[in-house]
Amino acid sequence: MGDELPPLVKPPIERIQLARYAGASGDFNPIHVDEEFARAAGMGGVFAHGMLSMGFVAQALTGWAGTGTVRKVGVRFAALVRPGDVVTCKGKVLATSSKDDQHLVELDVWAENQKGEKVVTGKATVSLPSRL
Amino acid sequence: MPIAINTSVKGKEYPPFAVTVERGRIKEFARAIGDLNPLYLDDGIGRAGEFGDIIAPPTFPATFRHESSDSAAALRDLGVDISRVLHGEQEFEHFRPIRPGDTLLCRTKITDIYEKTGRSGPMAFVVRETVVTDQSNEIVCTMRHITVICI
Repeated sequence: MGDELPPLVKPPIERIQLARYAGASGDFNPIHVDEEFARAAGMGGVFAHGMLSMGFVAQALTGWAGTGTVRKVGVRFAALVRPGDVVTCKGKVLATSSKDDQHLVELDVWAENQKGEKVVTGKATVSLPSRL
Repeated sequence: MPIAINTSVKGKEYPPFAVTVERGRIKEFARAIGDLNPLYLDDGIGRAGEFGDIIAPPTFPATFRHESSDSAAALRDLGVDISRVLHGEQEFEHFRPIRPGDTLLCRTKITDIYEKTGRSGPMAFVVRETVVTDQSNEIVCTMRHITVICI
């Protein structure tokens, strides 16, 4: 309880990454890759898919708890992430419980940009094999 | 100017669609996030590891989409332009790892539509829930997606 995940600091967001994530995810919303479209929509320019930041959060979770351990992860997309932003993912253990032979750990998870503003907030549950 | 959204689509169940999980897709998705975990990327390490193959990262089910029921379809049903829309929330619940070759069935339903006024003015929230099952009709994962529309 109260244990903190080692922060995961991602490299600065690049526009080519947004194009790559669009292709990999199938989400071709032009707001993420078409600068003119994004400006015309009043968004000031392209911004990252929220799901990209959620992918970072999932990476932080599996880095700490192990691959295949994430049972539940839910986030709110709190602020836009722009090209050049550095996203850091963090987490803190809220509670632990045992169910069958699984050790469930519930965490607060969030991601911040380089200004310390929260871009993603949420909760996750990971399942660790019980060990004596 | 406030827009109206078509709230009558609350409760709409979209036609189920099948997805076959592709090995290359898993790898490209992991690379796009910059998550170079060999259990997502290396066939040999995956085969030798606890899951018997590479597995998909936790947010990979976001790639399960079909033009009849994806966000674009939902927005058409709601009568909303994509430029007014933001992804508000997303949740995944996983029941087992997802592997290459898995043949999955996705059922999506619009479960709720509500309005709230926040700092940016009036907004509509559309909740879509998807249940993903495998060929044994076991639940593999569920997804909950909230779209926020500036109205």
